[in-house]
Amino acid sequence: MIATVQPMVPALRRYARALLRDRDDADDLVQDVLERATVSWAQRRKAGSVRAWLFAILHNLAMDRLRRRARRGVDDPIEAVPEALLASPPRQEDGLEHRDIMAMLGQLPDEQCSVLLLVGVEDLSYAEAASILDIPQGTVMSRLSRGRERLRRLMDEGADAPARPSLRIVS
Amino acid sequence: MTDRPVSEAELQAYVDGRLPGERGEAVVAWLADRPDEAARMHAYRAQRDALRSALAPAAAEPVPPELDLRLRTRPQRAWHRRAIAVAGMAALFIAGGGSGWALRGWGGPPNVGTAALAREAAASYAVYAGDRERPVELAASDQRQLDDWFSQRLSRPVKAPDLHAAGLQLIGGRLVATDHGPAGLYLYRDIAGNRLALYIRPMEIEGNDRMKNREEGSVRGWTWADDGLGFGVFGTAPGDRLHDTANMVRTQFRAT
Repeated sequence: MIATVQPMVPALRRYARALLRDRDDADDLVQDVLERATVSWAQRRKAGSVRAWLFAILHNLAMDRLRRRARRGVDDPIEAVPEALLASPPRQEDGLEHRDIMAMLGQLPDEQCSVLLLVGVEDLSYAEAASILDIPQGTVMSRLSRGRERLRRLMDEGADAPARPSLRIVS
Repeated sequence: MTDRPVSEAELQAYVDGRLPGERGEAVVAWLADRPDEAARMHAYRAQRDALRSALAPAAAEPVPPELDLRLRTRPQRAWHRRAIAVAGMAALFIAGGGSGWALRGWGGPPNVGTAALAREAAASYAVYAGDRERPVELAASDQRQLDDWFSQRLSRPVKAPDLHAAGLQLIGGRLVATDHGPAGLYLYRDIAGNRLALYIRPMEIEGNDRMKNREEGSVRGWTWADDGLGFGVFGTAPGDRLHDTANMVRTQFRAT
């Protein structure tokens, strides 16, 4: 189990951080995922991929946390976003671009954001993304399409007004 | 089949480089006549690449020890909350990783495996089953709470089995301290008032073990382990009755 799961930990951290936008929260979440995975390792569906199974556990726990956050009325730790999200901005200008794209991603609904991350960043198949999110594959495709188009428009706007002082981050 | 219309889903698959050859060529040809659509696809690829590079550092960071499964037997950052769980994890890892089987052949020091569990279970039986005043901390009337407590402390879903078919009624349970972390003790009684203990804890060694007959002084019982969780059924009832009860317990746990 260790040999199978451990190599996937970096990707799990990445997805968790993209969703929660806080490094400690995200790592704490991944720790929960590893514990759950360990306990229910024997019960997993042997047919599906382990990676999809782990991401599904992570996704559901992350959504629980986001819902709890929303209920508590706690805003996303906006100020902490760039530093917490980007381990070490390689260069000043790279860091800024990264913050921009992440801030724009944050303006998408969670459901579109998840699909863009699972497919685009984590390179999971459409079928795997569908099983992780527990939705039909057609819905994955339409969310992908809507999310990409929305992000494109945001980026176009961003390019028109690059010095916009406050980028809102909405989860 | 270049005449088949290009769907939005195919365009998305094209962005992801996941269109099979023939359709991929069809989409390329289709886009060649539609510069606006081609620009849109180009923008999608650019944003995907931007997301990847923005998030790349998060995956490139060294994995902290608490997220390293190979190190998880050590004390951790949030050990006060997690150490108990980790003890259970270690059992599973060893059993699941194959090294548990290696250790089996070696036999292990005398204080491990189901032999150790048998001694603990028998000792618990001797101390608590004979206590007429307060054998349990939580009574059967709080079974849900008791099950949740055990599940949390043993890091495993645990539920008191229904042993009415063996003529046994749940009295309640308590948590027991061992060298191997916490153990859950359920106590049952039959109509004559004889008590039976079901003792459960995570197993570091011998995470899977067949059912074995045990005799610890005047207390008899059976032990086994499934998937990193060790079990002991102990009492003073005749051996075959204990064995039937142990089988009943094992069947119910395997079904959950």
